[in-house]
Formats: sequence, C-alpha cells, structure tokens
Amino acid sequence: MVRCPSCAAPSGTGLVCERCGRPLGEELDCFAALGLEPRLALDGAALESRYHELGRRIHPDRFATDDAAVRAASLRAMALLTRSYRTLRDPISRGLYWLELRGEKLAEDNKTVPPELAEMVFEIQEQLAELGASPAGNDRDRLRGEIEGRRAEVRSRFDRAHRELEGNFVRWDRNAGGQDELTAGLKQALSKIAYLRTLLRDMDRALAAAAEN
Amino acid sequence: MSRIFGIDLGTTNSLIAVMEDAGPRIIGDPATGATLLPSVVALGPEGTIGVGLKAAELEGKLDDWGRGQGPGDQAGSAPAAVVVRSVKRYMGLGGAEVAPEDRIRYSFADLGGPVVRFQVSGRLYTPPQVSAEILRALKARVKASSGESVERVVITVPAYFNDAQRQATKDAGRLAEVEVVRLVNEPTAASLAYGLNAMTAGRIAVYDLGGGTFDVSLLSVKEGIFEVLATNGDTHLGGDDIDRLIEEWLMEQLSPPLRQSRQLWRAARTAAEAAKCRLSAAERTELVLQAADITVRRELERSQLERMAEPLVNRTLACCRRALEDAKLKPEELDAVVLVGGATRMPLVRRRVAELFGRQPLCSINPDEVVALGAAVQAAVLTGGRKDMLLLDVVPLSLGIETMGGVMERLIHRNTTIPTSVTEMFTTAVDDQTHVDIHVVQGEREIAHDNRSLARFKLGPLEPAPAGTPRIEVTFLIDANGILNVTARDQRTGREHSLEVKPSYGLTEEEIERMLEESIERGEQDLEQRMLAVARNQADQILQAARRQLANFPALVEPQERTAIDRCAARLEAARLGTDHELIARLTQELNELTTPFAERIMNQAIKQALERKSVEQLP
Repeated sequence: MVRCPSCAAPSGTGLVCERCGRPLGEELDCFAALGLEPRLALDGAALESRYHELGRRIHPDRFATDDAAVRAASLRAMALLTRSYRTLRDPISRGLYWLELRGEKLAEDNKTVPPELAEMVFEIQEQLAELGASPAGNDRDRLRGEIEGRRAEVRSRFDRAHRELEGNFVRWDRNAGGQDELTAGLKQALSKIAYLRTLLRDMDRALAAAAEN
Repeated sequence: MSRIFGIDLGTTNSLIAVMEDAGPRIIGDPATGATLLPSVVALGPEGTIGVGLKAAELEGKLDDWGRGQGPGDQAGSAPAAVVVRSVKRYMGLGGAEVAPEDRIRYSFADLGGPVVRFQVSGRLYTPPQVSAEILRALKARVKASSGESVERVVITVPAYFNDAQRQATKDAGRLAEVEVVRLVNEPTAASLAYGLNAMTAGRIAVYDLGGGTFDVSLLSVKEGIFEVLATNGDTHLGGDDIDRLIEEWLMEQLSPPLRQSRQLWRAARTAAEAAKCRLSAAERTELVLQAADITVRRELERSQLERMAEPLVNRTLACCRRALEDAKLKPEELDAVVLVGGATRMPLVRRRVAELFGRQPLCSINPDEVVALGAAVQAAVLTGGRKDMLLLDVVPLSLGIETMGGVMERLIHRNTTIPTSVTEMFTTAVDDQTHVDIHVVQGEREIAHDNRSLARFKLGPLEPAPAGTPRIEVTFLIDANGILNVTARDQRTGREHSLEVKPSYGLTEEEIERMLEESIERGEQDLEQRMLAVARNQADQILQAARRQLANFPALVEPQERTAIDRCAARLEAARLGTDHELIARLTQELNELTTPFAERIMNQAIKQALERKSVEQLP
C-alpha cells in the first residue's frame, strides 16, 4: 500500500492525500489527475481553474524547504498535472488520449485520404509539386498566390472539423449508438483533422521554401 | 532558518536582493552604496585576485605590467593573470563552441573538451568557478552590510538557457557554497516584480535585452498565477554586441599600427559603452580615446548608432514574432509590454518594441534591478511568504532522443509548462543485448546532430533475453529549474533500473568535489599573497625574455642600454624574493619599458631577414 510522504496516512487514489491534502506523486490517468470522470466534452474554463487550483496546492514551489521525499512527490505530481492539463485542454489530443485509454490507436502519419477530401488534396499536391519545380518569376508568384488562397480554404475546413468534433463530443458522451460506433466515429473525425493538419503544414513549408529562394 | 536571497547573475552586472516587509530590496555595497556589482573577475595563478570594480581596475594594471597576453602576443603562452568579463557567455559551453573572436580575447585550454577552461599561468578555471567568485562577492556584500550569512539563493538565468547552461549555473552555486533552491527565468522574474506592484489580470510580454542575452516571454497573469505561454530568445545577443559594433567602428578609423594596440582596444570598449549610454539621451556625442601619448576624438550621431544596431534589434523582433506565433497570440491581444535590461534604454529599441506590439512599453522599475527584485519575490514564494503567487514557467527548447536513422524524436515540445515528464518504453534489438544507449538532444531541428547534445544514457546491464522482450520504462522529467532528470524502471519487476549518465557538456560530480576542496583551501589564502604570486609570475616572464634576448642578440643592444637593463633586472631579481608586490610590479614595468626598443630592433631584423629570404626564393 502506498503511504502519503507527508503524513504517512494510507493514500487514496487522487493527486493529493485525502487526509493532509499534500501531493502523493502516484501515476494516474489524465482525467483522474484532474479529478474528472473520463468524458470527451470538457469546459475549457472549468478545466483551467481546476488546473490552477491543484497547481497552487502541489507545485514544488510550495515544498521547496520540505524533505526530499515530499519534494520528489510534489515534482512528480506537478509533472503529471501539467501533462494531464495539456493533454485534455486541446480537443484533438483529448480525443486521441481517450482512444489510447481504450487501447485504440490512430496512426500518427495517417496516409489514407478521407474520401470527401480526396479531390482537393489531389489538386493541392499537384500545385505544391509545380511550385517546387518552378523557377523564380511571375509564374511562381502566381502559383504562390493560388496556394495561399487554397491554404485559407483548408484552414476553414480544419476549423469546421474541429467544431464538429467538439459538437460530437457531447453526443458521444451520452453514448448514443454504443461504444463501437463511438470509437469508429471518433477515429474518423480525428483522422480527418490530422490529415488537414498535415496538409496545412506541408503547404506552409512549401510556401516558406518558395519565399526563401 | 535563514532567508532565501535572490540573485541576478548577469553578463555585465550582478545583484543580490531580499524580500522585506516593505517589498524586495537590493543589497548594495555598504562602502559605496552601489547596487550593481560588475561581473568582472581577475584571476591569478593562485586564485582570484579581485572581483567587480577591483578586477576592472586590475585590468589596466595587468596590461602595463608585462607582455605575453592579449591579441598579437606570442601565441601559446598562458598569461600570468587575466581579467574575465562576461563569463556568462561561456557557461555550459564546450571548448569547440568558443567563438573565434573570444579565442583572441582569452587564452583557453582543452578546446576539444566538454567544458571551456580559461588558462592562467599554470592554472585552469572553468566558467562555473569564475561565476562562483561573483556569487561569493555578493555573499560578502550581505555579510558586510547586515552580518547575515547567505546560505540559500534563487538565481536567475536567461529563459533561453539550455540544460547545460542551467546546470553550469547550479554548479557555480555549489562552488560558491550556497544552496540554489531554484533557477528562475529572468523575464519571468521581472514579471513577478511588476506583478507585485499591480496584480492585475491580463497578458504581458517581457522584452529582456541584457548585456549578453536576449529573451522574450509572453505570460498570462490571473489571480496570482503567472503562467508563461511562450518564450524565445538568443543566449548570445545583447548590449555587449552593440558596444562591440561601436568599438569596431572607432578602431577602423585608426591607422593599421594603432589598431594593434591592446590598450587602445580596451579604451575603445570603455568609450563605446559610455557613448551608447549617452546617445540614449543626446543626439550626438564625442568619443575620446586616450592611451599612452595618443589621443583620438571621433563624433558619433545617434542615427549612425541606430543604423549599426538595427540588424541586432531586428533579430530580437524576429524572436518576438516566433514567441507570438507559438503562443497563438496577436500583438494587439497583449495588455502590457515590459522592458528589462540596461540595453532597453536605447530609444531605437523602445521605438521598435512599441511598433511591434502597438503600445508604449512599461519601464517604471529600473531595468537593471527588476530581475534581482523579481528573484527576491520568487524567494519569498519559496519560503511560503507569498502563498498568493505561483509561477508556471516553460521549457524553452524541445527535448528528444536520437532515433535509428539519426532523426530527432521529439518527446517534450518547446514551451511546454514545467515541471513535466514523459515516459518512453525501450527494449532490445538483438538477442541477449546487454545495454541500450539513449542519446538525448535539445533543439528544434529535425536531424538529431543539428541539435545540441545533452547527454548519453546507458541502460543496463540487462539480463540475457530474446530481442524485444525486455520492457524498460524511461522517464524524462524536466524539473521546475528547467533541468532534465532521467530515471528507468523495469516494467516487469517494477524495480528502478540503473542508468549510466554521460553529460555531453559540463562538469562531472568528481570535478565539482575537487574544485570545492581547492576553493576551501584557497579561501584561507590572503589576497596579498595572490597579488604577490601574479607579480612574481609577471616578473619571471619578463626576466626570462630579457635574458634570452640579451644572450641571442648581443649585437643589437647599445652599451649604455645594456647597463640600464642589467641594473633594473638585478633590482627586480632582488625584489621578487621579497613580498612587496607593488614594487615587483613597478620594476617589471620599468624593465618592460627599458627592453621595448631593443625588442623592436630584434623584431625589425627578423622581418628584414624574412623579406630577404623571400626575395632570394623568388629568383628564377
């Protein structure tokens, strides 16, 4: 059994000791670290104030003059808290983490083009290739202008997918349609977002390279 | 329990402060009242011979005492004493990373090694040792002013300092026999000092242009929580670089022989720094260079200075833009911009910062003192004196490991809130593999080798097992000081696994222990003794040189000149057996002056012979 490094009481399962309220330093999942039920829909402001409240209690600055064991527990607890907050704050990484908790994984560099994006992706890739091969001059400037226009389009699709994801979180939390459908839906939404994000990055890189030459 | 003090260990100046009932206060020199301690350390063969103004004064004397140091002197010979400025530039640097212009400035040893070492006569000094002398001088200030012993401190570091630079700063604390309770980033410390005055909510940018480093940090302040959103910077860009530009501009206008004079270069640096400061208020100023019998006067206008400084200021603005991008903020979303560091007194800097952020920057707290004051505030937070405040800082550079193909796998991204940790699973690639090597790097480049190597970890010995079966969890944890800690655990047994660490830069534990022993012995020696050692060393150098030259070139010395040299050398020989270091120094200088014309004749003859040889070789 794990005991609290500060008061030696048998510890509970949270970030802090149930008896003395000081950090325990045990490994927990990100939801548990923040004292939350595992849910996809989270309110950003509430999450932040929770993070700040716990941070005030367990940060190593609060235990700078304590015993080494207490300092170590505080350091581990705070590292877990910052990591948990970062993971859950962003809806995309929260979704990915949610899948991970269920033993599901989304390939980092998703190569399958979501069907509704196929045509746009094909055109953009042609344009990027053309830009890479074209010498400096009017032609290239025109291409750059076109790609910049395309970038705005991709960006707005990305933002829309992002909003859709958050909208679905509420629905999925109600568990409408069961686990399997939820997992499949989440995977599909996240792949689309991941794909758009990679595309945006490729376009930014190509534009930056063209601006340098 | 003793109080915790806040220290700004700066490139140009250092300060010490403490929190009192009325707020943070800088502890000045009780004799002069000066709050700034120049970060200048004079080193001799037996130890430190002066810190601060005293060291700066010695700089001039050492130049006069003898040859054998500085640009244009005999290469390879270590000087008898050296005055180190801006030691912060060398903290955490490997020998190979010393810039060419710095190699002219000082004599270094071990340029292939993991730590830069200043070479002084028979002795070597690492940057943490030199910095420790500054810390000791600050401790002595407190002792002299209130009798209090400084045992625990918070030291500020540039936000953009990497792991090795941070570790070197902690090592300096250990060598100065103080416990470094926390390292705090300079811009963040400054925000704490401002936050204390007006604890408002909002987003602030801190633009910190110090003597040798530049940082920008963007923070969100909410109910006493100071949360850094992003930071960026350059640890080799500061006010010193602007001084150097003026210095070079000034020297370029002199004739080539005058440009060889080390004295003139030193005078030019002093004149440049003063002119830069005057031009913050005046439109034009006159620079006067005086050395020996030469006086040079040049006029510099503010607009000229601004043209020279513009590229450097632009580099700082590029860092600001990157920080904004990382924080996903637009300049207009900020509520305040704060200026920190002496170099932000330049009107050009203020103008450009105001343009970029679209608002007038704040500078109500003295930009030279604000970082130390903030360090004292953080010290109060650590002792529980300010429970309402909490600082959440970030790691400035990404941290990752080198993978099979030499690509860096990023484990912790830059601007991640610290402390933070990440756990990776490692296993073996072949049957019965006994060790797993992990190379940790820090930086933003894709290829591991383009980043800075942090350390190599050797995991093992492992029990013989088929490939892929061992499962070892390695946790990379960055603490609140921004320093990496690595631990390993066998997932099967749950036991801690041994890990051999080989830092790529910096001092080993044994080296620090040895230096500590040396410094304790050294502390008992008195300053007079060290001055004497330096003087004797200088005397030996000049005596040896004179004897050698008299023996090798008897034809080039005039009879009455010879008599004078012999007489002076004899007096010096006698004096060096005594303990009057001032007398030894005076005679050393006298002998130097007496032998200078003779030495010049030897040089001229050598040049003539070389030219003749060349013309013979050129014959068909």
